[in-house]
Amino acid sequence: MIISVENLVKKYNGYTALDGLNFTVEDGDIFGFLGPNGAGKTTTIRILTAMIKADSGNVLVDGHDVVKEPLAVKRIINALPESNGYYEWMTAYEYLEFFSNLYEEKASKQDINKLLEVVGLHGKEGHLIRSYSRGMKQRLGIARALINRPKLLFLDEPTNGLDPKGRRDIHDLLIDLNQKHSTTIFLSTHLLDDVERLCNRIAIINYGKIVRTGELDRIKGKGTIEDIFFMSTKEGAL
Amino acid sequence: MKTAYIMQKEIKESILTPKGFLWYNLTSVILSVLSYLFLTNSELSLLDQGEMLYMIMNFITALGVLIGLVFGADSFAGEIERGTIEALFLSPANKTEIAMGKLGAALTNWGIIFIISLPYLFVVGKGGQNLLTGIAYLAILGTLLVITFSAFSMGLSARIKSMKNSLIISFFIFLLAGSPIFLSAAQRKTWFGNILDLINPFADAINTFDSVVIDSQGFSYQIGRVAIICSYTFLSLWFLKRSASRLEM
Repeated sequence: MIISVENLVKKYNGYTALDGLNFTVEDGDIFGFLGPNGAGKTTTIRILTAMIKADSGNVLVDGHDVVKEPLAVKRIINALPESNGYYEWMTAYEYLEFFSNLYEEKASKQDINKLLEVVGLHGKEGHLIRSYSRGMKQRLGIARALINRPKLLFLDEPTNGLDPKGRRDIHDLLIDLNQKHSTTIFLSTHLLDDVERLCNRIAIINYGKIVRTGELDRIKGKGTIEDIFFMSTKEGAL
Repeated sequence: MKTAYIMQKEIKESILTPKGFLWYNLTSVILSVLSYLFLTNSELSLLDQGEMLYMIMNFITALGVLIGLVFGADSFAGEIERGTIEALFLSPANKTEIAMGKLGAALTNWGIIFIISLPYLFVVGKGGQNLLTGIAYLAILGTLLVITFSAFSMGLSARIKSMKNSLIISFFIFLLAGSPIFLSAAQRKTWFGNILDLINPFADAINTFDSVVIDSQGFSYQIGRVAIICSYTFLSLWFLKRSASRLEM
């Protein structure tokens, strides 16, 4: 088990964003974390990546407590946040080199070039990020999230705003990462076809609570993921 | 080491850019105009070299503090608004290392302004008394003030997470720091003026420059004011560390 979440609670000024969350993620999963806007997906990711602290509950990532050992967690994980900004004045190569330098094990020039090739930005490494399209920036964001060869990768709405080809490319990249490099992927999304194509296990969150979790095929049964999603989140979130 | 990489990034982002060069060109232009006026204007040229040196030292200090405040206001709030801070927080660099990297860049900026101003200080203060001592005091107190105001502004930026509001408050602090200038000489000699002078680190610095350059007084006369400035520096660093470590998305 790579993620274990028990009774996670987070409140913002009296508003309960997470209300006793419980779920687990196994090694090698592509875990779909679904929910309507405002359901608590981003807050959960921020807690799991040791960026914010929960009010109560326990979170273990690869056996490390995210509150007590945040640096140990950050060494083995990485993430692409939903609204990831870029140092637009840097080139893609400089951007990856900068983030690589913040880790004990720095990526070599070859590693960075290989990473750029993996995400399909080979030949564009010397271009300023401000000249990149949204899809290219998203690929660069994924490359940045892979700079420390994470065991566990969090992606928050990674295909939002991409055209069909951009989405397909990101899907292929994630499947490749999961199969060839055994990277566990925690995918937060509200795009159901992303889940259908990529995930083997899912959890559906609504009003800060897990309303359904398990293997995708079992949960779906004979219905569609869309039916399950709407049944589980009938009232939607605020 | 992570601090050094973050500092390097900040320097490339804010200093080695057209924006950074604009600051330095403006600094040179303003210092050139001031020096020219001091040396050629018939009334200003009646001032002795020490007084001219003192006035230009005040200006350089104010400029360093002002740019430090602007730099600080952008530091965390700017990154939050541009959406770049999350990636930084996901790295194993802790928040204090990030804050120190940003503060290091603000200090580098002050170092460049100080180096640019050196020829002007020598031209204006040449032949007068206490030129080298004055420059040494400017280097030390200027650095302490830039740390104080930049760290305070960075801490504020981390707390209120809005660049616009951080900038407005920082400018307000700058005006407050310069408030002794708005008091007449008589008002500054009252108990209120004395207290305002004493508790204001900027006023402490300019009064020290006055005492060193114009009145030729030794270090023993300056200890009290220097100690107050040092206290503000430690207080600001503590505020920055605390604000940065509490910063959450």
